Amino acid sequence: MRPVKGRSLWADGIRRLRKRNFAMICFGIVLVYFILAGIIFLDEVFNWNLKAFQWNEIVGPSYQAPMAEYTWTPEGQTESRTDWTLFGTDFLGRSTLRKTIYGAKTSVTVALCASFISLLIGVPLGAIAGYFRGWVDDVIVWFYTTLGTIPYILLVMAFAVVLRENAFGWEIRGITAVYLAIGLTSWVGICRLIRGEIIKRKEGEYVLAARALGCSNGRIIFKHLLPNVFHVIIINFSLRFVSFIHAEVILSFLGLGETDKPSWGAMIDAARTELARNVWWEMAAATVAIFFISLALNIFGDALRDCLDPKLRTD
Amino acid sequence: MTETNNSLLSIKNLSTHFYTEQDLVKAVQDVNFDIPEGRTLAVVGESGCGKSVTALSVMRLIPWPPGKIVAGTITFHGQSLLDKTEAQMRQIRGNDIAMIFQEPMTSLNPVFTVGNQIVEAVKLHQHKSGSEAHSIAVEMMRKVGIADPQRRVNEYPHQMSGGMRQRVMIAMALCCDPKLLIADEPTTALDVTIQAQILELLRGLQRTHNMSIMLITHDLGVVAENADDVVVMYASRIAETAAAGPLFENPLHPYTQGLLKSLPRLGAKKDRLDVIPGSVPSPVNFPSGCKFHPRCPIGKDKPKCQGDEPPLLEVLPGRCTACWFAPGYEEKYKEMQASPGVPGRCDAE
Repeated sequence: MRPVKGRSLWADGIRRLRKRNFAMICFGIVLVYFILAGIIFLDEVFNWNLKAFQWNEIVGPSYQAPMAEYTWTPEGQTESRTDWTLFGTDFLGRSTLRKTIYGAKTSVTVALCASFISLLIGVPLGAIAGYFRGWVDDVIVWFYTTLGTIPYILLVMAFAVVLRENAFGWEIRGITAVYLAIGLTSWVGICRLIRGEIIKRKEGEYVLAARALGCSNGRIIFKHLLPNVFHVIIINFSLRFVSFIHAEVILSFLGLGETDKPSWGAMIDAARTELARNVWWEMAAATVAIFFISLALNIFGDALRDCLDPKLRTD
Repeated sequence: MTETNNSLLSIKNLSTHFYTEQDLVKAVQDVNFDIPEGRTLAVVGESGCGKSVTALSVMRLIPWPPGKIVAGTITFHGQSLLDKTEAQMRQIRGNDIAMIFQEPMTSLNPVFTVGNQIVEAVKLHQHKSGSEAHSIAVEMMRKVGIADPQRRVNEYPHQMSGGMRQRVMIAMALCCDPKLLIADEPTTALDVTIQAQILELLRGLQRTHNMSIMLITHDLGVVAENADDVVVMYASRIAETAAAGPLFENPLHPYTQGLLKSLPRLGAKKDRLDVIPGSVPSPVNFPSGCKFHPRCPIGKDKPKCQGDEPPLLEVLPGRCTACWFAPGYEEKYKEMQASPGVPGRCDAE
């Protein structure tokens, strides 16, 4: 008889999540952003040059209002055209809509890379601190407590400035400085969380049983304990993702982010002078984009926590 | 006795203490027993008497802090286990000595399939490829009596019943053919019919694998059915050791006598069951002298029992006890005093 696939606790959780329609809609919205980011990334790598992503193309004169017709002569041509934009144009006449879409790619990639960096640092440190306790725990807790007392924005700014041109000796692009700055300063929360979860679980009987089988400490931490806290990592990831997007926006707003590609933060930054001239659409577009992904991810993250948390506990 | 011992496991004068923040807890004191090859030794006692700590001491799984083996020797297959490094002990655990626990639900990792966990047990100690390990896992599940193992190998622990999970634990423990299986109350969490099946399974596997079993339990019925030899523990010390039959026929220690008397008997007319008055002393506050004396019908008011701790002596061939007033104890004690060179410590036969 064909072996039946076991019904894991994950499958249970996912099944319960599917039933929550509103959460699934939010997931869909988040997915749209990710897919956009992915397509833009591929577009740049493979040079497909899809129309929607040509953010650098001048589509009209400077500061055209959204959904209003205008007539203009493109550079290098003599004939005038009548055009119409959904979200208006910016100072250089580029499409705000296209820039907003491109901003999704910037934000998603920064948030993803920063998430991975912070997970890569926070999870192992937290696991080691929680498992071994004693002086190892003391050192790691001292370290992250100290780091955590420095106000987050100031810390990120400091890292972004220092890492501007090179990181620890290697030359890097501006955007990498952003990933590193955010990632290297945001691991404290997940570290604390994982440490707590490991402390909770390390006296469990299956840990003792694994030791009785002859497992080494490293194997117990990474193969036995961490899979039991995956759900915590995933929930934390989905809820923190939004804060990484916000961090990138703030950095760009302060001029420390990527300057040569569009990003939502840069658009909001530019709005400082634009609003005086009644040009509201740049800021509105960026704000709306940020609003939807923040809201969607928060709702989805909440639903994820409800569905995964109680059942995956051992009882 | 320093004669060459052909026992598989030999424990002498084992003491394990826990140094907690408030107190020193002497969980196991001066424990001596042997387990020969292919035999089942039952370690009996109430909760908190030190049975589990003894078993964990053998496996060197006592966490430091706060616990520490402070004295004694543990010899397995002629080698001292207390001298081994942690890496050497990891080779032995699961491989030569295996352990199964009381609660099968919490002893299995909830996020992995049972097949995955048995495969891990195999791969830890044997060089087998993934598919070889998988077929060994299925075969082990068949051996422990799980029906349709091909299908069940992909199930998760929460999808199985208690008896099934315990069988999986036994499969994990036995897959590397250990010489000694330590079973810490393996059936306490199961209902009686399943209990009988699991114990029968263990007896059968013991015969086919020629394995010794150290069976920790508080159930004298289980002892009567399954044990060859018995060690009765009370308050961190051994009260009595004997072969199973003689223990039930003729208990020497008042504690054992009290335990057997309190067992309800089918057909006997009784208004109230006999009890041992009082309760087990707290390990941070043991009574002076013989630890059982406050509850003992013989030693309650005797100054000798209040004052001195009786050592474990072999009063009859193969039978040891630690009671000043056990038959034959006085003479044996005088003998031991007279010739101090001969250690009077007792080894279970």
